[in-house]
Amino acid sequence: MRRRPGISGLQTAAAARDQYRLVGENVAKIRTDLMKEQLATFRSQLEEFAKKHKNDIRKNPTFRSQFHEMCSKIGVDPLASNKGFWAELLGIGDFYYELGVQIVEICLATRSHNGGLINLQELCSLLSQKRKTAREAISEDDCLRAISKLKVLGSGYEVITIGKKKLVRSVPTELNKDHNEILELAQGQGYVTVEEVEKRLSWSSGRAMDALETLLKEGLAMIDDGHKDGKRRYWFPCVASIFSSGGA
Amino acid sequence: MAAGAWLAPAALTASGRPVLLAGEVERLFLSSVDLEAEENPTLAPLRSGLLALTSHRLLWINEASRSAYSVPLDTVIHAFPPKKSIKNMFASPRVRIQVSASQEGKVGGGRGATSLVITIVLRGGKNDPESFYGRLWEVLKSRSWEVEELKEKENLQMQGLGAGEGPSRVRTAVVGVSGILRKEQEMWESTDKSLQEAFHDLNALMSKAKEMVALAEKMRQKLLSGSAAQANDEELGSKQEMQDWLLSVGIVSPVTKESAGALYHQQLCRQLADFVKLPLEKAGGMIALIDVYCLFNRARGTELISPEDLLQACAIWEKYEVPVMLRKFDSGVMVIQNKAQSDEEIFTKIADLSQKPDSLKMGISPSDAALTLGIAPALAKEHLLNAEGKGLLCRDVSPDGFRFYVNLFKEFDPNDIYLVKDEGLYKAWESTAATVVTS
Repeated sequence: MRRRPGISGLQTAAAARDQYRLVGENVAKIRTDLMKEQLATFRSQLEEFAKKHKNDIRKNPTFRSQFHEMCSKIGVDPLASNKGFWAELLGIGDFYYELGVQIVEICLATRSHNGGLINLQELCSLLSQKRKTAREAISEDDCLRAISKLKVLGSGYEVITIGKKKLVRSVPTELNKDHNEILELAQGQGYVTVEEVEKRLSWSSGRAMDALETLLKEGLAMIDDGHKDGKRRYWFPCVASIFSSGGA
Repeated sequence: MAAGAWLAPAALTASGRPVLLAGEVERLFLSSVDLEAEENPTLAPLRSGLLALTSHRLLWINEASRSAYSVPLDTVIHAFPPKKSIKNMFASPRVRIQVSASQEGKVGGGRGATSLVITIVLRGGKNDPESFYGRLWEVLKSRSWEVEELKEKENLQMQGLGAGEGPSRVRTAVVGVSGILRKEQEMWESTDKSLQEAFHDLNALMSKAKEMVALAEKMRQKLLSGSAAQANDEELGSKQEMQDWLLSVGIVSPVTKESAGALYHQQLCRQLADFVKLPLEKAGGMIALIDVYCLFNRARGTELISPEDLLQACAIWEKYEVPVMLRKFDSGVMVIQNKAQSDEEIFTKIADLSQKPDSLKMGISPSDAALTLGIAPALAKEHLLNAEGKGLLCRDVSPDGFRFYVNLFKEFDPNDIYLVKDEGLYKAWESTAATVVTS
């Protein structure tokens, strides 16, 4: 472009720059849109193939590893078996195993913010999200069945009932660090209440209740219902004695 | 070992499984197999090892000495079918392969001047020579190792292209805005087309698999790096998903019932031992078995194993030298634990704890131990009970629950039990206990 002097010249140059920028932005937008579209096709196709050709894919180990690579790169879950008649009836086939793996994965992923205690309903909806392409809905019963299949590997996953809610606990007592936090909290007064634990550690009520109940069962805590405010106190003699003699 | 000097040595993992090359997939395992060079008796035969056929190599593994040798399949000139005759009915079945060798008769250094016939003797009664031969032919025909080489070359070319992207635009004479736009359009159209072609049916996808893997990688890169500025929720979600997934890719060549046959659990056990090392480190030396079940299966992709198989694989760890172990608590919970980080270390820590002034005075409760060791109270209690069993501690049961004190009984001299020692643990205990009384 030939440069022209004067204000009008500057204005034209500025206008041209604007035009270029507009075109550039447009192209960039179209580009991302297109890519998203292609990615979506890619995904849905892969999911379709994972479901339809499961056995064929398995038969060819070299292709299998390539297929997994594709799936993992664009975020497709290769586990997408249909429940089918036999799985429903007898609990055989891969369906419940797949579900089991996905359930454990969800529990692992959410553990950092729920301490390994998850509402069965929430678990179910997260699971359905994961399997959104498989058109079958996942019921709570399916979840429970899948969890029961994991029983062989020790009593790590338990379904507990608190009030009306069903919760799935994924951290075994032996590895539960929540108890340490409660003990630390109890060091202050020698006892804690459920509300206190919830407030101070910002836990859900189920999580606090469950942890305290376990400590009770382990023989570390004692209940005191006799207090005036009517709130149940959980005393921890083991830390309290240090507290009292430390103060003496 | 001099016996295998005519073959190239191969690397093994800590649990004694072969270290696979990029893109290499294992196809078949056979136990008690000999490798002999019948024509050349100066080459010492390899006796009764584990034979692994992969897409790239033939591996012979000596499990006792943890050594392995390999025959690259690209050196194989011909494979002879197992002979069937009355004479051979009573001998162990043999499959012979002709491989190229160097002048000195060494195999595995690429194309050599001479060739050598290696006899594979299948001693195990269950080994079926026909199926081995069939699998071998299949692998030889597919020539997977060439694909890998090609891929590397392509990568190099692509890198070259990437570097020269600027000038190439000028070269193709698409200057100007419309030129760039047109080029963009062409690119998308071609991607669209190849996507459509690839997903036409399974065979098409198989033949274009490599290309699709590259495309997937490209899309992932773009999505992860490019669109950080425009953060809409759904995209963030999918990004997160992708990163989650990245963590779970891992085992390119999962052990399957088909490939390992009778050796399935044994190989699975080794693969699991290799795999579990990293998650175990992240979890601090102990991890619940069910968590491992999920991680392991995720790494295997669609090749799911059942909980029963996992348990069996863990159960036979004892038989092999692996750095991990399965531990079962009284509550029924099962965990995987690092052998190195096992009880000894914990006992030392507990012994240290028990000799601190406070614990000499009032003992240790499970919760004290839990807070000091940074582990859950239930586990701490278990460790304390174990330490008691070892004679390190003595228990005191009171309404406050269990407390553990340092074991002073060991300090007494059985010949003179009334002797009050002036040094050592007893003295330390006496002096701290005395301060309690006086205060």
